[in-house]
Amino acid sequence: MLLKVENLQAQIEEKQILKGLNLEVKPGEVHAIMGPNGSGKSTFASVLAGREDYEVTEGSVEFDGEDLLEMDTEERARKGVFLAFQYPVEIPGVSNKLFMQTAVNAVREEKGLPPFDMFDFDEYAQEKIELLNMRPDLLERSVNVGFSGGEKKRNDIFQMALLEPKLCILDETDSGLDIDALRVVANGVNALRSEERSFIVVTHYQRLLDYIKPDHVHVLYNGRIVKSGGFELVHELEENGYDDIIQQYQGE
Amino acid sequence: MTTLSSSTRESKPLVKKFSPVVKAAMEHYAQLSDDLNKASDHENVVSLRQKAKQLFLQEGFPTRRDEDWGYTKLTNFVQTHYRLEGLSQITLADIQKFLPSYPATRIVMVDGWFSESLSDDLSVLPKGVSVESIDDILEIPASMDKLIGPQTQIDKEPFGVLNTMLLSDGYFLQVSRNTTVELPIFVLNVQTQNQHVSNLRNRIIIEQNAEATVVESYVSLTPEQNEEFSGLTNVVSEIEVGQDARFNQVVVQAQAERSYYFANQFVYQASRSVFNTLYSGTGSLTSRHQNHLQMDGEHIESIQNSACYASGEQIMDSRTYTEHNEVNGVSQQLHKYVLDDSAIGVFNGMIKVARAAQKTDGQMDNKNLLLSNSAQMDTKPQLEIYADDVKCSHGSATGQINKDQVFYLQARGIPKAQAIRMITEAFLLEPVEDIRNPEIGKWVSAILSQKLNG
Repeated sequence: MLLKVENLQAQIEEKQILKGLNLEVKPGEVHAIMGPNGSGKSTFASVLAGREDYEVTEGSVEFDGEDLLEMDTEERARKGVFLAFQYPVEIPGVSNKLFMQTAVNAVREEKGLPPFDMFDFDEYAQEKIELLNMRPDLLERSVNVGFSGGEKKRNDIFQMALLEPKLCILDETDSGLDIDALRVVANGVNALRSEERSFIVVTHYQRLLDYIKPDHVHVLYNGRIVKSGGFELVHELEENGYDDIIQQYQGE
Repeated sequence: MTTLSSSTRESKPLVKKFSPVVKAAMEHYAQLSDDLNKASDHENVVSLRQKAKQLFLQEGFPTRRDEDWGYTKLTNFVQTHYRLEGLSQITLADIQKFLPSYPATRIVMVDGWFSESLSDDLSVLPKGVSVESIDDILEIPASMDKLIGPQTQIDKEPFGVLNTMLLSDGYFLQVSRNTTVELPIFVLNVQTQNQHVSNLRNRIIIEQNAEATVVESYVSLTPEQNEEFSGLTNVVSEIEVGQDARFNQVVVQAQAERSYYFANQFVYQASRSVFNTLYSGTGSLTSRHQNHLQMDGEHIESIQNSACYASGEQIMDSRTYTEHNEVNGVSQQLHKYVLDDSAIGVFNGMIKVARAAQKTDGQMDNKNLLLSNSAQMDTKPQLEIYADDVKCSHGSATGQINKDQVFYLQARGIPKAQAIRMITEAFLLEPVEDIRNPEIGKWVSAILSQKLNG
């Protein structure tokens, strides 16, 4: 098991958002987490990545056999947890190159590998740029500054490719993307899929999932997973919306 | 306000009152002036100092009642009486660590005095470039008018008056018409004696269509473990940038942490000239760097930037006064401060656009990052516009480090402390990007980064 979430409960500013979430992810699996606005999807992604604003009040998260909740944000990233942000952050004056070389070397240090110097890194990054069909000047630009929404999200996928994580969490990466940008993101994800690498794709819509074809689909409502199924659940949701599932759940 | 009261004020000049501590300090520096004059045979130098002394004894040091000095306290400064003595003997090995990584013509001033032995041979400079020490110029009575600019405003500044009163040494640089000085001129100003004043008077003349780059570095050579070392640097520079001339300047102030630094730069630009200056401030307990810029021609361009980092109890003041006097001028300013601990940053900028200066484009931006809850920034960007067709803006923003940025870097495996350093460094180094010479830019960046990363 790569990730084991048990009875996870979390709050922000005294407001309970996650109310007992359970999830198991095996290596190589792709899970989609869907749900209406305010159901706790982004909170779940943030808690896994270690955002300090959220307080975990109950439950446990085991990642690769270790207690994830004990780790700092940077330690989680070094051990292979990657969060693609809903809103990637602009950092003026810091080049993508400096940012990613520092990050890649932090991860390499964790793996016991020697750091990349400038030349090693350039070569390594160039492969990924080609793999994902990114703009060649990407590395020279300041992190996300002056990027369109789509470019910012592609930059996050590029970072994901560079860091080669074990678990990729995509927090509504598809929101606001036009169809071309969406394809680039989806192709990026598909290019990075492997037997060891798992994905949790958090989304409101089925669009991205049509490209990615997740193995498991979960519906999150009111801080809990209320229904799980295979890819067919995506189309069920598309046709009937969340209302049926919610009513069914509330009836129980 | 009635006419009567204002005329009463004019007819009765205000006699300034000083506390005994300030008065004692003023008398001390007046005595230093007298001592200099006793050792001098040149009547016109003597009388120049004497006139300044009279003015100084009236106007004195600024007090907290002076609006311009309200945020830059001198309470500690006036308690120490800084001596003025001769050149101390240091070697090239002593100053090696202060020398730049790029090729340059070197001028070294030790405790305010020109050091011939540590400077490059200035008699073999390329054609069209001449550098002399002010001390040498003072020896020749006929060359006095070389020293003082035609429209000098030095007397308006209290530390300017003090500077003339103690007139002793500095450098004089002249670049002739159409001459491009390829090598940067690097001026190292090193404090070596505790409680000593370095009184520097510089004059730079860049003639028509000439070009030069000057880097001035202010440092302290302190005996090891002497954390109490305190030197005073008081510098006045008059700079003329002729028609179509280009002058690039970088001032790096990295003196010992209990030293003082006061600088007044009076800059006069003629038509189509370009002036580009950066002030990098990291040193001294209290420091104040002032540009007084007059853009006296058409199509003039100027860039005035600052990158300041202060921590502990430092007070770091950088200010600009920019006058657009004719049409089509472009002035650009970016002043950035990073303040930690209980440091105080002070910025004051004024862009004044004369009625004749139509189509002026004047931009002034001040941005500050506070790293602690007890750091403080006092800022006052101002515009005064008398022309009706101009594009001017001024702004100031002060904030703390952006938590989302820190989290973003952490989420990629970068430790929190390192993430904060990266973001802070990128913030502080932005003004450095306007330096034209990439080697000098790297050198300044390295000095700032090193200071920031303690």
